[in-house]
Amino acid sequence: MKKNQIVKVYLFFAILIAALAFMVKFPRLTLPFGFSYILYLMINPVASRILRGNNQQRIIYSLFFTACACLLVVPLVATLYNAETDFKQLLKHIPELRVKLQFKYLQFRELFIDKTGVKLSLDPVTYIMRNVESQGANLLSSIPTLVSTILEWMLLVPLFLYFFFKESKTLKVKFMEFIPNSIFEKTYVLFSQFNTKFGEYIIAKFIEATILGSLVTLGLILVSFPYPFILGIVAGVTNILPYVGPIIGFVPAIAVALLSQNPDVTLLSATLIYLIANAVDMVLVFPLLVSKIVNLHPILVVVSVLAGGQIGGAVGMIVVIPMVAFIQLLFKEIYQDLNAQ
Amino acid sequence: MSFEEKMNESGEDEKSKRLNISLLRYMWEASPLYFKESYHTFFRNLSVLKSFSDNDIRIFTTYLHRREFETNEAIFKYGDSGYGFYFIHSGSVSIQEPGGEEIVHLEKSKFFGELALLDEGHRRPATAIATTPTVLLGIFKPDLDKMLESHPVLGAKFVHESAMILANKIGHMTKEIMALRRKLEALEKKN
Repeated sequence: MKKNQIVKVYLFFAILIAALAFMVKFPRLTLPFGFSYILYLMINPVASRILRGNNQQRIIYSLFFTACACLLVVPLVATLYNAETDFKQLLKHIPELRVKLQFKYLQFRELFIDKTGVKLSLDPVTYIMRNVESQGANLLSSIPTLVSTILEWMLLVPLFLYFFFKESKTLKVKFMEFIPNSIFEKTYVLFSQFNTKFGEYIIAKFIEATILGSLVTLGLILVSFPYPFILGIVAGVTNILPYVGPIIGFVPAIAVALLSQNPDVTLLSATLIYLIANAVDMVLVFPLLVSKIVNLHPILVVVSVLAGGQIGGAVGMIVVIPMVAFIQLLFKEIYQDLNAQ
Repeated sequence: MSFEEKMNESGEDEKSKRLNISLLRYMWEASPLYFKESYHTFFRNLSVLKSFSDNDIRIFTTYLHRREFETNEAIFKYGDSGYGFYFIHSGSVSIQEPGGEEIVHLEKSKFFGELALLDEGHRRPATAIATTPTVLLGIFKPDLDKMLESHPVLGAKFVHESAMILANKIGHMTKEIMALRRKLEALEKKN
């Protein structure tokens, strides 16, 4: 490779690193920008499907996708509306919850002493409840900041989204011109594959979470379990995390079941509902929607999710899977190239 | 007061009212449309895309990537993963064996690398090197996928043209093999 070509490669990577550093330095701009990009990747395949074909096909496609969107969004909005009521009720019941949990814990502690002779500490319940109360207080105090951030995002996200739809093709071609010739083909193909996989993964996880959340909510309503909407949302959101998600999502249901008049029956019915919902997810939804998009080893998924959570919190946990799938693809390419040489 | 009246008042002669062709030409050539137009003319004259209408070519050019190469710069090397099909817009390209021996020399309006678009996990069977400052117009696998998704008829036409190129090459190779076989048989008879 000639000297100026090597310089071009280094310059390209230097610009890339500088852009990443800029993004890390200004999260207020980067986060809505990244969110808009994810939305763009989710909407773009649908939009391009609608735009292709003749006018009659476009109308049919538009109606079909609008119906699909309504089927997804209407229950989601209704659930969110009911979840607010659930949440308010739950906040009112926190002192009662504390007393009941402490009482249950003391019962369990006595049973444990009888059986094993080991004395358990009294701290866990106090610690957990103190944490819950302080988190609730923090949430209340951070509401003004949250509102201003939401307003900011409401302005920025549509703007960025418009920009992506209008200019992404031209911008992509311009960006590609900067890639040095020696790495162009590979970089372009990997970049395209990443974009496609990332968009598909996010949309598949969103649909999967909505289906699971709806199933849990419906089941809980059928057995008259308290707080069905908020528990459904928690189950749906936590389901985004592979493997550990369904367990985390089930914990609040256990706490609520323990507070009921007949804890054993309530807990059994809740367990059955969560098991059925997760079985439907594992047998039907996941294999049809998600598994074809990312094909990673289960251990790699768990380690990645933990690492993603450590680095970027909940968002990191979600985004890390397609990222790791992309890195795996990159390593495969490098390995194949080395083998070919 | 209109612009023309102002010009007359300021004593400008008839010359200034004429169209400034050189300025217009400069503005046209400086506009992004100029390049697209030149691509259009370039592809219109290519026999491989003879089934494409003007509108097909206009859409097709939106999927292309312009790549500039210096003299002796490698476009791809033997054994590299291949994803792109290139048209030579200007300059020349030498297709070489791994040892460096030239197989074929390609000039403006020729093309190479079509197999990469159709073959999964394709490895380049030869090295391509720019022998002069060269401009290539490349279409890559993701572009073809997108074209098939967004403009299926155009995508099918392009795949058909690529298949025709390959069929022609296979036909040509078969003829060469037959000729070589005949030569070999003649040599065997002589001996």
